[in-house]
Amino acid sequence: MFKKITLLHLLFLCSSFSWSQAIFLDNDSIENSLDEVIISGTKTIRTVSSLPLNASVIKKDAIEKTNATRLSDVINEELGLITVSDFGGAEGIQMQGLDSEYTLVLLDNQPLVGRLAGTLDLNRISVGNIKQIEIVRGPSSSLYGNNAFAGVINIITEEPSEGFNGYLSSTYETHKTLDNSINLNYKKKKFYGSVFFNNYSSDGYDLIEDDGLNTVNKFNTNTLQIKFGQNISESLKVKINARYYAQLIDNIAPNSLSGETFTAEDNINLIVSHESDKLKTDLEIYFTSYFGDEFLDDDQGNRFSESFYDQILFKPEIKTVYKVNNQKELVFGLGYKYESLNRTYFDLKPKQKSPFIYFQYDFNPNDKVNLIFGGRFDKYKEYKSQISPKFSGIYKIGDNESIKVSAGYGYKTPDFRQLYFNFSNSTIGYSVIGYNVVEDVLNQLINEGQIANIIVPIDEFEEPLSPESSFGLNVGYNRDLNEKINMSVNVFNNSAKNLIDYRVIANKTNGQNVFSYYNVNNVSTFGFDIKTKFKTDNYLNFTLGYQLLYAFDLDARNAFENGEIFARLTPTSPAFRLKKSDYFGLYNRSRHMGVFKVNYNNLEKKFSANLRLRYRSKYGLFDSNSNNYLDKYDTFVKGHFTTNISLNKKINSKTMVSGGIENIFNYLDTENISSLSGRIYYLRIKHNLN
Amino acid sequence: MKTIKLLVLSIMLISFFNCEDDGPNLQDIQSVSIEDLYAPQEGGQGQPISGTFARFDFETGLQTESETEWDVAFRGTSIIVNGGTSLGTTDEPERTGDAGVYIFDGTMAEMVAVETSLIIQDSSSGYAIQSGSGNGWYTYAGPPTYLINPTPGKILVFRTRDGKYAKMEILSYYLGAPENPDAFSDPSRYFTFNYVYQPNEGVTDFN
Repeated sequence: MFKKITLLHLLFLCSSFSWSQAIFLDNDSIENSLDEVIISGTKTIRTVSSLPLNASVIKKDAIEKTNATRLSDVINEELGLITVSDFGGAEGIQMQGLDSEYTLVLLDNQPLVGRLAGTLDLNRISVGNIKQIEIVRGPSSSLYGNNAFAGVINIITEEPSEGFNGYLSSTYETHKTLDNSINLNYKKKKFYGSVFFNNYSSDGYDLIEDDGLNTVNKFNTNTLQIKFGQNISESLKVKINARYYAQLIDNIAPNSLSGETFTAEDNINLIVSHESDKLKTDLEIYFTSYFGDEFLDDDQGNRFSESFYDQILFKPEIKTVYKVNNQKELVFGLGYKYESLNRTYFDLKPKQKSPFIYFQYDFNPNDKVNLIFGGRFDKYKEYKSQISPKFSGIYKIGDNESIKVSAGYGYKTPDFRQLYFNFSNSTIGYSVIGYNVVEDVLNQLINEGQIANIIVPIDEFEEPLSPESSFGLNVGYNRDLNEKINMSVNVFNNSAKNLIDYRVIANKTNGQNVFSYYNVNNVSTFGFDIKTKFKTDNYLNFTLGYQLLYAFDLDARNAFENGEIFARLTPTSPAFRLKKSDYFGLYNRSRHMGVFKVNYNNLEKKFSANLRLRYRSKYGLFDSNSNNYLDKYDTFVKGHFTTNISLNKKINSKTMVSGGIENIFNYLDTENISSLSGRIYYLRIKHNLN
Repeated sequence: MKTIKLLVLSIMLISFFNCEDDGPNLQDIQSVSIEDLYAPQEGGQGQPISGTFARFDFETGLQTESETEWDVAFRGTSIIVNGGTSLGTTDEPERTGDAGVYIFDGTMAEMVAVETSLIIQDSSSGYAIQSGSGNGWYTYAGPPTYLINPTPGKILVFRTRDGKYAKMEILSYYLGAPENPDAFSDPSRYFTFNYVYQPNEGVTDFN
């Protein structure tokens, strides 16, 4: 057996406090570990407490106690993470004040694709077979390359344990939302197999009447996940993970339009692992595709609009972990990524091929310190190749105290939409052109006599669009105050530059504009989070967390500082000049966020209950006073609490009955918060088969 | 004409101690508020735009039907001046005067003297006040509000058709200049604006 020894085990072995107790681990005994382990931070298995990164793990039992069904439910209750709906209704993650397009989302260590407008919809993921959710905050391109700009979320699904087991589960909620799962697992010595099937459907709901639209349309979603594993010899293992996801949405639109949105996703990953005393090598061959098709018909059955989206990713990767000794470990990997996208409004089918190579050196110079150096090189043809370094370190001050620092680089390449879009709005008449096709499309528009004058000369598009990049710094302090109280503080700073925005590049003869993309914004997000865990007795524990966040566009802040921005209080009052302190920051960012959780667990009575409160302070969704910036005179979405409660009772050795209420106090802001539909009641039955 | 209410808010006496040096014939500058000047248009949203411009005369402070005695005219979000050449859209009036305009970034009070070198006129390739959100006088919010509001801090500085000067701050594009306009229910293309008119030919300051 390959023994993966956690590098800081020596430091923590003496610790009497169970929360930070590390133990010797091998790959198969993770479930038995008392401490939380995580793979996403280093691509090796480490305990969270010993890892010099701002990382956390949400484990299966915590997810089960809240009766969550979709990943977005879980993420929303994690300190410092919120989900944000884009205009297409997809719910993405905002991490440390950076948008969802900057967080890499992995499923069993492999990236998910299908970000139509940049957002990866977290409702796509059922949590029914999740072992744990790993969250690494801070740029992580040193291991993952593209998109790991703000951080990484890795959803790890379960692998079967010895014998046969499984469960059936059914949840019924307000809005006729139904979530049914079946999970079957089998393992006998050298072979395992598992099947997970989930059906998730809802009638949706409508918060604003008379607009001809539903807030959430009726939908039906199926997920099938199949996993196999076989030990060919003591040292050689083969695994296959496959997943299929399909969703059908019934669309309605104003003027009696109706139609459907169909989405399908495939993932397949073949893993061959070889282990010896000092070396562990994994070869992973991953393929995923995401297909979307959407149409609207009028009441006569004539096609009003139709669009499609067809993306594939193929990624073979080989990774070797070399354990030099108990103090030193090397990780080395290389691979190749092939991506293509075919969609409406593209004149061509763009492809991208990018080989990559990475390494990581993980060592303990003494028994109080662990350091990790790493870097990755991604080769690109279309834009500048990327070198992503990362450094992190942890210093154990005493038995119950540690301080960690991590600094890293993250980037996101321009997406295909920003490069190849060719879209003209048929009702209003404006155009949006991808950066790489500006010359062709603009010349075509000129020849058609549609252009009145050019504002940005075409030769400015000769230099390629640069990847967006960030440099992140996280400093953390963790302390067990006594056997019952743990406290941690993390300070973070992300400096992002070359963020891509759009601008007017030409005026059209119809009075409308032609837009294209460019590198412009420099954004800074900084703040801290503080988290306290408190155990009172055998039954009760509390978690209290707070995050302070500042998220600024630095150029916008300069414009305020230079007195270039104005506002007026009422439409009839004259404009006045705004000050630097009047700038609020980026849209959709709350300065203060908090979570409070109480968990009651009575093993004798087989009963558990928990109460979760979440607070978000005010935030702005758009500029309401027409100066193009969010300032303190704009209209804000009010700060608010949402409160959820869930109860679980085991009625016999195999059956659990659960119920609960989400949004107990029925908080509603129908204009601004589409994800809150009022109070939600639910009931669940889960029956174990073994 | 009925929609225009002329309010002379204040008639400021030029009370400089050296005003006598400027001669006794100087007229007082005028501060005027105009409410709901209606500037309809036909077409738009990709269709050719047409319709008579609502023409305005700074000196009288009134809308006018005159083909020549006007300084500035409005149609939808388009603002033209009586100077330069026509862009050639349907129903666009010929320019007969020497009016021009530029946009000053600041507040109305900060705009104290006209920088005459910045003044430009309409031309066959575009209006002196550029069309499009963020280019000229207004900001189009897009979804979800779809509002068109005057961009705060944009002061339109005019030379009139006959070589006098005026500065203008547009306040609202919706009927009655509502506190919280609603693009779906409030009628649009109604201009509410303040202006200060310097009636003395060639005098470029507003003190």
